Amino acid sequence: MKRLGTRGLDRLVAGLLALFAVVWLLAVEGKQGIGRDEAQYMRAGERYWGWFEELGDNLVHGHPGRSFATADIDRYWSDNAPDHPVVMKVLYGLSWRAFHRCHCTGPTRWLHPIPVRGRHITLPLFARESTAFRFPAILMSALLVALVFWFARAWLPRAAAAAAAVLTLAQPHLFFHAQIACFDVPIAAMAFAVGFAYWKSLRDWRWGIATGALFGVSLGVKHNAWLMPFFLVVHYLWMRRGDWRARRLPRLPLAFVSMLVLGPLLFFAHWPWLWADPVGRARAYVRRHLEHEHYNFEYLGRNFNQPEMSTARKWLRATAPFVETGFTVPVTTLALAAIGGVVLARRRRGAPVQPDGESEEPVADRASWLRPGADVDRAPGAFVLLQTLGPLATLAVPSTPVFGGVKHFLAAMPYIALSAGVGLAALGRAFVAALPAADDPERNPERVPLTSRDDSAGRRPAPSTRQRLRRAAPLALAGLVCLPAVVETRRSHPDGLGHYNLLAGGFAGGASLGMNRQFWGYSVLPMLPDLDARAPENHGLYWHDVLPDAISMYKRDGRLSLAVGDTGFGEDGIRRSQLGILFYEKHWAKYEAWFWEIYGTTRPLFVREREGVPMVTLYERPEIARRAGAR
Amino acid sequence: MRSWAPGRIALGGTAAVALLAIVETLVALIAPACAPTDADWDAAAAEVRRGFRPGDLIVAAPAWADPILRVHLGDLIPPEVAARMDDDRFPRVWEVSQRGGRSPEGRRGEVRSDRSVGHLRVRLIERPAPTVTYDFVASWREARVSPPAVLQRKVVEVDQRLRMAVMTQPVAGGPVVVEYPHARLGRVLAVATGLHDTWARKAARGTVTARLFIGDRAVDLPETTDDSGWTETRIDTSAEDGRTVPVRLEIRSAAPRERYFSFAAEARR
Repeated sequence: MKRLGTRGLDRLVAGLLALFAVVWLLAVEGKQGIGRDEAQYMRAGERYWGWFEELGDNLVHGHPGRSFATADIDRYWSDNAPDHPVVMKVLYGLSWRAFHRCHCTGPTRWLHPIPVRGRHITLPLFARESTAFRFPAILMSALLVALVFWFARAWLPRAAAAAAAVLTLAQPHLFFHAQIACFDVPIAAMAFAVGFAYWKSLRDWRWGIATGALFGVSLGVKHNAWLMPFFLVVHYLWMRRGDWRARRLPRLPLAFVSMLVLGPLLFFAHWPWLWADPVGRARAYVRRHLEHEHYNFEYLGRNFNQPEMSTARKWLRATAPFVETGFTVPVTTLALAAIGGVVLARRRRGAPVQPDGESEEPVADRASWLRPGADVDRAPGAFVLLQTLGPLATLAVPSTPVFGGVKHFLAAMPYIALSAGVGLAALGRAFVAALPAADDPERNPERVPLTSRDDSAGRRPAPSTRQRLRRAAPLALAGLVCLPAVVETRRSHPDGLGHYNLLAGGFAGGASLGMNRQFWGYSVLPMLPDLDARAPENHGLYWHDVLPDAISMYKRDGRLSLAVGDTGFGEDGIRRSQLGILFYEKHWAKYEAWFWEIYGTTRPLFVREREGVPMVTLYERPEIARRAGAR
Repeated sequence: MRSWAPGRIALGGTAAVALLAIVETLVALIAPACAPTDADWDAAAAEVRRGFRPGDLIVAAPAWADPILRVHLGDLIPPEVAARMDDDRFPRVWEVSQRGGRSPEGRRGEVRSDRSVGHLRVRLIERPAPTVTYDFVASWREARVSPPAVLQRKVVEVDQRLRMAVMTQPVAGGPVVVEYPHARLGRVLAVATGLHDTWARKAARGTVTARLFIGDRAVDLPETTDDSGWTETRIDTSAEDGRTVPVRLEIRSAAPRERYFSFAAEARR
């Protein structure tokens, strides 16, 4: 059998890591509920599919132009606009169309956002429609894992690079977002892809063009993409600091030219909603996010829901991204990342990150806009630092809406994992170097008796125990440092948002510290069987923060009976209800007061908890319980 | 002198990271089993019920466990108690705690019983408590408001905590006066004020000033703002102890939009 070369083996490992990510995420996503935003993106994705379906019909009937009329475009594409561009939502819609097990002509037919014309012919990979919607997000997470390995492999030995890839996914909060049909891990994956391409573009012009194309796709994923150029430009200016010292301006590199040209082109081309009024609608999109309202978010026992006025609160608010990172990323990963940071900071100019890694020695005498990093050290430490601190620092600005917590700076997490890989590689190398080396023919050939170097047939002798230990040590160490992250992530599921690390004390520690537990109503899912069984009272069910789109999807997935009702929002919704749920977030306290007043009791029927920490409460009108008792 | 060779540092660093990884893994595996079970809560509830007397306060420690406590003992925690102004009036406190938690309500007094029940601990704390001679929230129907304005007894949310309070709204151009004509005073009058509703506090920034008249004596209460939370003031009423006097609260706001001024007060002896 042909032996794989280094590149082949790396491709195999990258593929296996991606497969590991897909299998892990698909194995568990069904236990995670559907949040407010995710349900909207599923709805929008299906509606966008409707446009493609109609376009197909129009093509068949010879009048494709109808699909491009403003009214027709807006009928489909104004859903979830101007909130978010559509790359991922289109993929969610296409994936649903391609991979769901179709029962759309059955009783759930009226729950679809577009008319169901007939039974869909599909490749029925997934039993639940929601899984089919989520599949592209899962693939993006897998892509991120593979990219981290691929990037890290240029700097690090294989085991450390693979560990960096695993540590990227094995973070409870990132893992939560990695399996849902939203944009936060997809944009983190794209941010990493753009950073990766930029890095390669410093010495290879082809990647300069790729950087622009990837940036254009990123702009179509989520508005976080607007920030990417800033972090790259700062790195570029630092890398070319010699130009400043020589009093000359650094050249504009191909990567940035490509981003400037291809970015807007792809952005406008991909989003039909913009086509009717590109400038006006693009402005509306930008304003939507520059003027985004401040939702509620709990941090260190306080509820934040508006720009802070006092200096003390501004400072406290500014610590949020850093403290949240410190309390959510597994501690072993953080420790390794800190070691990796020291290694990167102590690296001598021109030296590789690790001895066997890619050289940073200049490969050309003169700079070129096509290969602007060819004549200089590319400053890998500054690159990792800026890609890590950039997203965190942006969210530390007190006027930035704080809601969402870690999801808003997930782009930093792959670089934290990469830094952890650097730390792991350094430890592994130093550890191996410190092992006794008396009989190691590779390290110390002159100390090895001649008779043991080769046998009479000229073959190398079998490796000794110490040699085996020396080879196995880095792999074992990589496995060991991944273990807590994987176990912690598994422990957190499906409530990753409420989980905090060893420093914080897990679910209970996070609650005691006053950290956010959840948002947008996803955590009801484990209660659905019980809610479904409580007929007929569940015809008058108050759903609190679970939006109608999510309830529809639960019904389409077969997790809820069609007869389960929804009494609507707020105080009136509770008044109309017989049963009601309440999510524990600090700002929802008022809703619990309504339950007490309207139901006349403070006694919940049930509390869904994680390790003793309340997540969702179910209230029932006491007269129902009395009637049930009488029966 | 023996120096720290790089090899030793590397070995030490590797050992430290390996140890951290092992500890973190073990904690992640073991910690879930340290949470109280339903059986623990049932047993703790039975323990409380055995000794419970009307007027006792039952609290959870840490406070975030309160909803689970109410699942098991909510029939003994009516809204007036769950949304209490403070805990001063309660002579006996049952504290159901976990993970070494301690409640603010259980800090003073003597521990009369202390039992561990699975992963929970049940303590009964007794402490001296004042007698309430007049509860302004319970007696809210005796109050008159002028000019005619909203006045209701309600579970309000101040600083994301629930309080049973009397709620009114200031109006533009003059004070809103809430008067209790026949309040029987004790040695202390405890008054707490705050602004109801997270969303209202987000939507507006107006402040509210309040002045309390005890008979003819005027006392300015702290200004109530979005950030002032639930602010308690204790007024010495020894001179009026045992007397029934009119008590009047005047509130004003230059920007009264979305200001849901809430107060609770107790005359205590």
